[in-house]
Amino acid sequence: MDDRQPRRTFLKVLSGAAVVAASPLRALSAMAAAAVPSDGEFFVFIHAAGGWDVTLWADPRNEKKGLVTPASTDNTDTAQVRRWQDAPLDGATRTFQPLRPARGNQVFGPGIGDLLDVADRITVVNGLSMNTVSHPDGTAFSATGRHLVGGRVPASSIDTMVANEFGREQTFPAVSVQYPSSFVGDDLDRRCVPLVVGNIGTISRTLARSSLYDSEDDREAVTALLSKEAKSLAARSEYPDVMQGMALQYDALRRMLGSKLQEVFSAEGLKKAHPEFKYAARFHGASCVNAAFALEAMKRNVVRCVSFACGGFDTHANNYRFQAQTQQEMFDMIAVLLRGLDETPHPTRAAAKLSEHTHILVVSDFCRTPQVNIGGGRDHYPNNSALVISPRFRGGLTFGKSDPEQLLPLKAKRFTDGERAIAPPDLLATFLAAFGVNARKYMRDGEPVPELLKS
Amino acid sequence: MSRRGAWVAAIALVAGCNDRPPEVVKPGAPTALVPSHGAVLEDTTPKQDVRLLPAEAYVRSYLQLFGGLAPVDVQARARGADGAQLFDTWDDYLSALGFPDYRNDLPRGTQTNAIMVATFERLGVALCDRALEHDWKAKPAPPVKERVIFAFDEPAAPASAAAFAARFDVLHKTFLGYPAELAPPDRVKNFFELYQGIAKRHAAPGVRSRFTADESGWAAVCYGLVRHPEFQFY
Repeated sequence: MDDRQPRRTFLKVLSGAAVVAASPLRALSAMAAAAVPSDGEFFVFIHAAGGWDVTLWADPRNEKKGLVTPASTDNTDTAQVRRWQDAPLDGATRTFQPLRPARGNQVFGPGIGDLLDVADRITVVNGLSMNTVSHPDGTAFSATGRHLVGGRVPASSIDTMVANEFGREQTFPAVSVQYPSSFVGDDLDRRCVPLVVGNIGTISRTLARSSLYDSEDDREAVTALLSKEAKSLAARSEYPDVMQGMALQYDALRRMLGSKLQEVFSAEGLKKAHPEFKYAARFHGASCVNAAFALEAMKRNVVRCVSFACGGFDTHANNYRFQAQTQQEMFDMIAVLLRGLDETPHPTRAAAKLSEHTHILVVSDFCRTPQVNIGGGRDHYPNNSALVISPRFRGGLTFGKSDPEQLLPLKAKRFTDGERAIAPPDLLATFLAAFGVNARKYMRDGEPVPELLKS
Repeated sequence: MSRRGAWVAAIALVAGCNDRPPEVVKPGAPTALVPSHGAVLEDTTPKQDVRLLPAEAYVRSYLQLFGGLAPVDVQARARGADGAQLFDTWDDYLSALGFPDYRNDLPRGTQTNAIMVATFERLGVALCDRALEHDWKAKPAPPVKERVIFAFDEPAAPASAAAFAARFDVLHKTFLGYPAELAPPDRVKNFFELYQGIAKRHAAPGVRSRFTADESGWAAVCYGLVRHPEFQFY
């Protein structure tokens, strides 16, 4: 026997171990293995559509430096922004005073609104590298971790991933109201195709049925027959997935109609059940109905994931004057939602509050330019911030940073592929890892950031 | 080499070529003896799963089938003025039906989901109920060729299996585009059982409906076909 064999074997094992050690997969699987059970968790995903100005909330800038022209009384309607406290800028022009919560390393701008009161539960990610200034691309990148490929979304969005992991048996696995949801992949459960609607009222209207002609039993019999037909077609097909999926969706429809939630989920019903939201708000009154739906549906344990968009952030011109108010309204709404979750018992876990098992992720397409344009607005910029409110994330923490003079993402840490800025795939991978999900199941890129998670 | 030498060499070369004996090609084996490679059949099996029709295509089909009306007219007919609440407005269902939303840069829906399936039901029930009212309950009833969907005489209730099959074939061709006899073997039987079950339920005392028991059965067959997976996929 060759006496060098053990040494060769040892070298092979050593090199294999080195490759594995360098791989992000290792980090992913290690975190997945260490995660706690995740059934009974609920998820809310919010997309601030249009690209928000991070200098007004997560990454506040209140002095002229390099390219940065801060929000000021010249370009911002400050009267309605409650957290705005004047600070000197340039002669009679005033800017805002940054807000520092008592604990943690965070600093906020006045757009943060009432969320400042719960800053210790907030995780902020700054300096997210977007590499795009296109709305569709930034939207897809934030929600899926992939840029568009020839105009197509090449991966599933985060709500689909989460619904596929934890929502298969729910009546509504993923409800998506104008959220950039996508369902891409062969190994996903078709019950988890996001239920895309233009507004929450559509759910109620879609499930409403007249009883003047036919009865619930009649419609039930037809749906049962169609489920059988779909199964029969699947059995005769070379590629049975779509027809099998249809059969599952017919069964899901029967569950939905059987749940008698039509009235509860009408816009009027939700407003009555949750008067605490500001439905008459100027910018996000309609979104408040979505938030009320999320709260009510989670309370009734019929949904796993609610995602919706809040518009109005694309302020290229003089409408920039309202950017801070737009942010304030959205964050106020999230604060009300959070209070509601605090006051609502978990539907299946005794003595637990809903907020202890609800996880909120807020992202946007990208941020806005540090300089103000000649129209008095700000344009698209390839930097971004994100907000997470989750019991599994470290609250009171701001992670990542941007350049003080150009507002561009700076290196956040050493990833396995080198030192670089954090990017949306990393954030999404971290979100999945928090629930023990191996992100490689859904995502090509991204590496979890353990610094964001509670140990 | 002199010029004369070159000419001599060239002539010799040409003469040498001409002297080559004629090539004899031996006949090969008769073609009948050449081993066959067998017949190569064209592989016509589908190479991918069925896909959802674009929303514009199947909504256009609805409009065409239910009278060739403009969308707003179909909406008016489906809603009716009788407070039946069979339908609302197209706007309420655009995203649920898979239409893209360019206001929000949202792409079209390319997969069905349970809310889309629920919308198909809501819409299908409304269209079929209104079509049956138009075709069979109008006074006077329109002639068969002017009927929208139920282009046959209502059979004596309850319909026999044979009477049902002939009429079901008309509906099957209308919605799914091919004769019912070419469908998977149990389809006619399953739909006949559906018709019978619903007609029987509506014939029971105390059941209130604007349709007779038999009409209810036919309406259910209609919206079973307009909601059929073969209608939405290609």
